[in-house]
Amino acid sequence: MGEKKAILAPLPGIFYRRPGQDLPEYVQEGDVVKAGDTIGLIEVMKNFYEVKAEEDGIVAEFVVDNEGMVDAGQEIATLK
Amino acid sequence: MGHLETRYEYGGDEFIFVQLSEAMSLEANFKGMAITRQLKGRELEGILDICPSNASYMVRFDPDVLSPDLLMKELQQIEHAVEELDDIVITSRLVDVPVYFEDPWTHEALMRFRDRHQAPDSTDLEYSAKINGYSSKEAFIEAMTSAPFLVSMIGFVPGLPWCFQMVRREKQIEVPKYVRPRTYTPERAFGFGGAFSVIYPVQGAGGYQLFGIAPAPIYQKEQTLADFQDSIVFPKQGDIFRYRSITRDEYDQVRAQVEDGSFVYHKKEISFTPSEVLADPEAFAEMALGRLYHD
Amino acid sequence: MISVIKPGLQTTVQDKGRIGFYEIGMPPSGAMDKYAFTVANLLVGNHPNAAVLEITYLGPVLQFGKRMRISLAGGQIPPRINGQPVPMWTTLEVREGDELSFDFVQLGARVYLAVEGGIDVPLVMNSRSTYTLIGIGGYEGRALAAGDRLQLADMHEKEVAVGTQIDPRLIPAYSRSHEIRVVMGLCSYRLTDESKQTFLNTEWTVTPEANRTGYRHRGERLQFVEREQPFGAGSNPSNVTDLGYPIGSIQVPDGVEPIVLLHDAVTGGGYATIATVISADLDRMAQIKTNEKVRFVPVTLADALEARREVQARLSQVASAI
Repeated sequence: MGEKKAILAPLPGIFYRRPGQDLPEYVQEGDVVKAGDTIGLIEVMKNFYEVKAEEDGIVAEFVVDNEGMVDAGQEIATLK
Repeated sequence: MGHLETRYEYGGDEFIFVQLSEAMSLEANFKGMAITRQLKGRELEGILDICPSNASYMVRFDPDVLSPDLLMKELQQIEHAVEELDDIVITSRLVDVPVYFEDPWTHEALMRFRDRHQAPDSTDLEYSAKINGYSSKEAFIEAMTSAPFLVSMIGFVPGLPWCFQMVRREKQIEVPKYVRPRTYTPERAFGFGGAFSVIYPVQGAGGYQLFGIAPAPIYQKEQTLADFQDSIVFPKQGDIFRYRSITRDEYDQVRAQVEDGSFVYHKKEISFTPSEVLADPEAFAEMALGRLYHD
Repeated sequence: MISVIKPGLQTTVQDKGRIGFYEIGMPPSGAMDKYAFTVANLLVGNHPNAAVLEITYLGPVLQFGKRMRISLAGGQIPPRINGQPVPMWTTLEVREGDELSFDFVQLGARVYLAVEGGIDVPLVMNSRSTYTLIGIGGYEGRALAAGDRLQLADMHEKEVAVGTQIDPRLIPAYSRSHEIRVVMGLCSYRLTDESKQTFLNTEWTVTPEANRTGYRHRGERLQFVEREQPFGAGSNPSNVTDLGYPIGSIQVPDGVEPIVLLHDAVTGGGYATIATVISADLDRMAQIKTNEKVRFVPVTLADALEARREVQARLSQVASAI
C-alpha cells in the first residue's frame, strides 16, 4: 500500500471542512472514508458544492486549511 | 432649464450615458422623459435600448449600425430642441395604487432585521415619520397618500418603479436606506429610500425602509391579468401613481380579485406639460386626483 | 433528445440574449462568451442564434438520445465521450446512448456545447436565454438538474463535416492573469484622481462570488471626492441619484471591491459607475475564474471599436473556413 491517493478539488472556490459554522467537521485525519462520502464543501458563485471521496481509504492529511482558496484539480486531502 | 449641467459619457462601445443633473428633481426627470420620447420617435436604426432614469438616461446601440459620434450629436441636438419644456406635452397614465400600511408581512420582515437599522427600537414607519418632522405615523401616511408620485425610473430588477413625489422640494420626504441591507423583503412590499418610494416586484434582498404592502402585483410573468397582456411589468416611466391607504378588508378583496384573475388597476389617461406641474405642484395634484376619481 | 445524468455546477440554456427590454429592468442574459458561443454554433452548422448549453467550472454528464453532431468551444474543461478524450473547437459526432462528461476545469471558466439544431426551449420575449433571478427563459427558468430531458430545435442551416476544426490561431489563449480593457468615464468624476490611478494600477483578485450577475474584485480601497451629497443621491459618498448601469460597467460600493456588472445584472441603482469593459473583452471576462488576477487597462472609444472589429474579423474567418 505504498501509493498515496488524494481527494482533488473539482472546482475553484473556498474550501470548508464543516457544513456550518457551529457544526463538527465532516471528517478528521485518521477517519475511514468510503467512496461517495462528503469530506468538505467548496463555495463558489454563491453556491456550495459537496466534495466527495472518490475511493475508499483513511484520511492521512488535509493539505488545504478550512476556508482556504482552492483551484480546480488541486489536492485537498491525501488518503492512505 | 439653464441651471442643469449635462454630462455626456460613453459606456464602452455600446452605451451612451447622459447625466442631466447630479441631484434629483422633477425638472431633470421631465427633461430626460422629453429627450428619450423624442429619441424613440426618431426610430434610428441601430438603437437597441432607450432607458430613461431619474435624473439621467442611457442608450444602448449597435456601433456596427449607428456610429457613436453620430448618435452623440443626435442626443445633443435633441437636448437643444427640448430646451423649452413648455412646448412638450407628456401623455401618461394616472393610476390608483392601493397600499396596506403597517401590514403583518412587512412588519415581520422589518422586525427580523432590526439590527441592520438606524433605529432598532422603532418601526421603519415611526422612524421615518419622526426624522421627516411628522407628529404621527398617520400624518406621515397622509403626506405620502395626498399627493401623487411620478414613476421616474424603472429598473434594478424587472418592473421595479422608482417613484418621486410631485410636491415642492421642501415637502419632499427623504429617508436613509438600512445601515446594512436586508436579505429578505416580501414580494409587493412598499418601501422608501432616499427620495424615492418603490414597490418590490419579487421577493428578495433590499435596503429601503418598509412601510406597507401593495395587494396588486406590478410584475406578473404568467400574464393572466388584463394589465399584463402586453408586458410582464405594469409600471411605465412617466406614469403617475397615487398611493391610497387601504384596510385589511380591502387588501383581502383585491388579493381575491388578483387570484381569480379579475383585478384591473383603476386608471385614467392624462396629458400635461412639465411647466404646469413645476409652476404649481399642489394645483396639479388636486387636478390629477379629481380626474382619477371623479371624471 | 439529451438526458441530464449530472447537471454540473451551473449549466444553463443560452442564446445571444434578450435584447431590447433594458428599460423595464430586464438584463439581456445570454451567452457570457459570445465568441465561443458563435464558433460552437458555426461548427454544427446552426443558425447564429441557436440555443446552446453554457457550462461553468464543473461540467455535466449528458447522454444523447440519437445520432447528432455536436461541438464544444470556450474554456478548457476537457470533454470526454464514453470516457475517451475528444477535441474541442471541432465538429464531433455522437451516437444514441453516448455519454459526454468533462475533466476538471484547466484554463478559462466556461465552455459552450452546441448541438445540431440547437436546444429547443420556449422563446420568452424573443430569447431562449435563462434568467434565473426571476425564473424565465431557458429550461423552466433555471439551471439544469439531474433527470432533465432536452429536446432539439430545428435551427440547423448547413451540413458541416465531422472532424472540421478551426484554425488554431483563431482559438483564444486563456490564462490566469488578465488585462481587461475599459473605457473610463460615466461617473468617474466621483473618484479622486489618486483613486482613479489606484484603480488602474492595482492587480485585482476575483472573489468567489463572481457569477453571471457580476465579478467582484479584491484589492485596494478607493476614495470618492468629498462633497455634500446632492438631493436624492443617498448618504454614502459612492452613492449617486439612481441611474442606469451599462452592461460591463464598474461600480465600487463604499469604495470597497469594484464590481463589473455582467449579463444577468441589475439594470440600474444608486452607485457611481466609473468605467465600462469594452464589448470585445466581455467575452474574456467570461473566462476568468475566481481567485485569478485582473488589471483594468484604459482605452479610447476608437480602440474599443477597433477591438470589436478584430473579433468580428476573426469570426468571419472561422465562418468562411467552415
